[in-house]
Amino acid sequence: MSSTIRKTMPVITATAVLWIVLVFTQKTFLFKNADLSLFLFDWNFLKESFLVPGGFLGWAGSFFTQFLYIPWLGALLWTILLMTAGILTVRILKIPESLSLLAILPIALLVIANMSLGYGIFIQRVQDYFFAPTLGYLLMLAVMAAAWNAQKGWHTAVILTVSAFAGYVLAGIFALAGVFAAGIGLASDCGRKNRDRIIAPVLSAALCIIAPLLLYGLYTRYRIADSWTMGLPTVSDDQWTAAVRLPYHILIVITSAFALAKGFFARTGSDKRHRLPLQAGIAAVAIGSVVLFWYKDENFRTELEMSVAADNFDWEKVTDIYRNASERHLNKEKKAYGKRQTELKAVQDASVYNDILKEYEDRFFEPTRLMVMLRDLALLKQDKALDMAFRLRDGGRSQKSRTQIPMAFQAARQLYLNYGLINMEYRWCLEDQVEHGWCYGTLKYMAMHAILMNETEFAAKYLDKLDKTLFYRKWSRSQRPLSADSLAMSKALPYREIIPYMSFDDRMSNDRVKVETYIMKHFLEERDKQATHQFDCAALLWAMRSQNIPMFWKALSQYIDTATEISLPQSVQEAIILYSSLENTDMGIEVSKKVTDSYAAFQKYIQRSGFRSEKEASFPMYLRFGNTFFYYYYFVRGLQTF
Amino acid sequence: MKRTALYIAALLLTACSGKPDENAVKSNENIRIFPDYTDVVLPRNIAPANFMIDNEADAYFTIISNGDIKVEKKGRKVCFSKSEWNSLTDCCGSSIQIQVYTETDGQWTSLAPFSISLSDDLIDRYITYRRIPVAVEAYEVLDLCQRDITNFKEKIFFSNTMVQDNSNGTCVNCHHTGNYSAGKMQFHVRQFKGGTVLYFDGALHKVNMKTDSTMSAGVYPSWHPTHDYIAYSNNKTHQSVHAMSHDKLEVIDEENDIILYNIRENAVSPIETDSAELECFPGWSADGRTLYYVSAHYDAPFGPDRKNRIFIDREQLHFNLYAKPFDPDTRTWGPHYLVYDAAAADSSMTWPRLSPDGRYLMSVISTHGVFPLDQIASDLFLFDFKKGTARRIDEINSPYAESYHVWSSNSRWVMWSTRREDGVHTRLYFSHIDDDGHFSKPFALPQKDPEFNRSFLYAFNIPEFMIEPITVSAREFAAFIANTDAVPAAFESKRETNEKGELITTDYRVDGRTGASQLEYNDGEMYLH
Repeated sequence: MSSTIRKTMPVITATAVLWIVLVFTQKTFLFKNADLSLFLFDWNFLKESFLVPGGFLGWAGSFFTQFLYIPWLGALLWTILLMTAGILTVRILKIPESLSLLAILPIALLVIANMSLGYGIFIQRVQDYFFAPTLGYLLMLAVMAAAWNAQKGWHTAVILTVSAFAGYVLAGIFALAGVFAAGIGLASDCGRKNRDRIIAPVLSAALCIIAPLLLYGLYTRYRIADSWTMGLPTVSDDQWTAAVRLPYHILIVITSAFALAKGFFARTGSDKRHRLPLQAGIAAVAIGSVVLFWYKDENFRTELEMSVAADNFDWEKVTDIYRNASERHLNKEKKAYGKRQTELKAVQDASVYNDILKEYEDRFFEPTRLMVMLRDLALLKQDKALDMAFRLRDGGRSQKSRTQIPMAFQAARQLYLNYGLINMEYRWCLEDQVEHGWCYGTLKYMAMHAILMNETEFAAKYLDKLDKTLFYRKWSRSQRPLSADSLAMSKALPYREIIPYMSFDDRMSNDRVKVETYIMKHFLEERDKQATHQFDCAALLWAMRSQNIPMFWKALSQYIDTATEISLPQSVQEAIILYSSLENTDMGIEVSKKVTDSYAAFQKYIQRSGFRSEKEASFPMYLRFGNTFFYYYYFVRGLQTF
Repeated sequence: MKRTALYIAALLLTACSGKPDENAVKSNENIRIFPDYTDVVLPRNIAPANFMIDNEADAYFTIISNGDIKVEKKGRKVCFSKSEWNSLTDCCGSSIQIQVYTETDGQWTSLAPFSISLSDDLIDRYITYRRIPVAVEAYEVLDLCQRDITNFKEKIFFSNTMVQDNSNGTCVNCHHTGNYSAGKMQFHVRQFKGGTVLYFDGALHKVNMKTDSTMSAGVYPSWHPTHDYIAYSNNKTHQSVHAMSHDKLEVIDEENDIILYNIRENAVSPIETDSAELECFPGWSADGRTLYYVSAHYDAPFGPDRKNRIFIDREQLHFNLYAKPFDPDTRTWGPHYLVYDAAAADSSMTWPRLSPDGRYLMSVISTHGVFPLDQIASDLFLFDFKKGTARRIDEINSPYAESYHVWSSNSRWVMWSTRREDGVHTRLYFSHIDDDGHFSKPFALPQKDPEFNRSFLYAFNIPEFMIEPITVSAREFAAFIANTDAVPAAFESKRETNEKGELITTDYRVDGRTGASQLEYNDGEMYLH
């Protein structure tokens, strides 16, 4: 095996493994990244990218990101680029065979930056963050290679100057980092004249300061103070932005350090002492960091999967994903429960008792509110909500993220659209695009809004944009006839499933960035005389969700009014018997014996069980009564929504 | 293989020779172009009226002529070079004739020709506007732009992105000039680094017009034509989303007043502050001796419920047009009087703008409220003081919202923002007014790429004409705004006479409200001004 192959083998192996991992475990995450980006085959789209330094990098990045629509293909492109970056790192920085694994450090940092973002994908503020930094790193290496390969001192100076100015315009900070690292590398190059070894780093440092200052006059899109961060990803949270950028800062520092160590690498090239421990150490750092920082929250993954299925109006799949997620670890949960109870039995002190409960909290499944919202929506669309919604597990676990991303930025458009609240959907499409830029998803939802409202010219605006995309063109063309034909639209999916929910009068409203409470309030308080049965089903579901007894009776009566056949679902019967019992009234509605028996069993079990708190009782009660409304009423309480 | 090559070559040749011959068939099919420049009146100094042909065909050929000058264009997009356009518009003929041919399946067809009339009334060379993303509460990029409308050069003279950071947003709005001059300008900066930025006497100033006795800083401005005053409205604005309507948004002022800002003394004084009236949109007459404004009567009690109440009552808010005499030398006001009772017709009048020749007052009329931009029913309305007529300007109104009109300095052109193209994105349109007070067919601001208005996802609002370019650079504005604190304005009392001309003392009270901040974000609700 040649030395070159031996040196690049770790990079090739690492990227191949990465591709397999991405394809088998991150398909939805990759797809969602594509859905949140935008690339148009349009001259103006390219021109707009030049409004900020590094914008071209974003444009080029978003070109590649669109291929994540086909996750294996997008992942393949990314891993090929990473592999190229790794191989070029070895070659340009002359990394010796004994330290060849150093080349996977930049790859690891680029992987960490993308795969640690988690909920941050919903608040990114750049045109592209997935591919752009990888391309930026490649450009950085190219600048170094060009400067180092120049034969004469003045050639180097020209290359550095052009790279600083033109490179900054195209790739922002990555070009400057390349210039800086090139200068450092030249300083440590013993083969060069002393004069060049002094001038080059001084020139490169000066260019890194001067180029952004001189070029600032061409731009109006950022503050002068931000000149040295252009091209780096940004999210709409300052602290999070600092965290998002950290891997890139480390990448620049490491690459500059490699450039500085070029001479040292050349000297240690054939030194095979300590080779194995050194390589093992580097591998451990790289792999360990990737594993450590890779965002692995299961609820996040489930939310993404449900959200993508909901975007495709595949309601059965939405429900299946939820059911699988909630039942996947039932055996593990049972074991954890047994262990926890053993520990709790031995404890008398209240604070220790609470500590144990808290310690075990994460071992039990609890959905986020968005998961519950999407599940309920899917059940409603399948006309199963009043049967099924309270038989599945419930809850309101917080997002595992630096800050809670409001549901409005995650899913307002799909929730509002499908509940028929289409002006609110329009509003959040707009707010989202202003805050985080246009993406395929937003354009699609804006078009659907306009089509539902029979606003043909307005729909055309967004369909025209989607016509200029690679993967959404087909969808756009399928919608165009519907935008001009309201009758055909009203019979086509998804519109025919949305229109029944639009059975309410216009009124002024503001959701105050609280999607769930707004939808609940809408169904509980804003029923008009033209309400359809679908509207009343949703209203009854939300009344049961609210655990508000008068609201339930009101919604039930409306539900019965618009029902064609009255066969009350089991959960509704359970609510009737529970609320009648709590209010000590008889509403005269017949409830099946099965439900009556179940309620009696529930009451009996509650009285006999020796649990010290609701929290402790929650899981065992779920195992026995988790498929009843009684359980929901007593054990799913105090939820927070964002 | 040879045959295929020949076939391809023949196809290419056919494609390249795309020009109609004498066999072209005449068609009654109407020509559809975008933007629609058919039968419009253009000023001779306007930028090339590039357009694209919407009729479906395989190939297009257009002949544009004026007298002896003839220009031929191939393709769906008809775009002119500067010299071509100048030769067409500078020549003696009073109109440009345009003949479009289309080719479908090898057959050329001539569509019905159309013409563009050329007016010798030149239009002011520059316009300014705010370029803004369509949104409800959020904003990220707000550009104040100046465009040379004799060509396609656009300059961002200030953008909020040059001042705001990731967590401190800055809003900019209401760029306005005195007498169309670049030497007298103002715009507002809200929130981060906020204040009203004024440029006069060759220097920049930043002022905080919110005083203990006014409800807000100045909002909608009108620069006095002869003296160094600016009349402003004070607004306490809220907005809410229509749950189910083509009108997506409702913007309502909970409170309004009108104030006068004395530039030299950096002082504000009240003009109209009746607590039962919502006074807004001041607009000076050409001689500066009358201030027009609109006002709606609303006497719901002040308190926490007023905001919700006013949204419920929104359809009862009818703004009438009023006038108030003013002596600019003594800064003395006369009693106001009703000019147009819009409420009597269940309408609402806003944005009164007087032509510089003093003959016309143009306003917006809609069904209710103070924010016509978001009402599909908003139309332009004209008072012709010479003829003594008042009318809806049907010849330029569209089924969508018209708003924010402004007169050119020679009173011959009107520019306004309209949503006629898609119902949502406001675009700038122009029309010429003849001696008889009749407007020509509206035309869109020419763009280099005729498809621009269709594809661009930003909106244009608050346009202004200017006769000279802005000399302050974006960088200068940004450095000044970022590094300068707003100077608080002083508060002065008002001098006013009654119907008999006697000077009266006003027991001044700004609707009983003080201490309102300029712009707040409170629990998801944006107070705009």
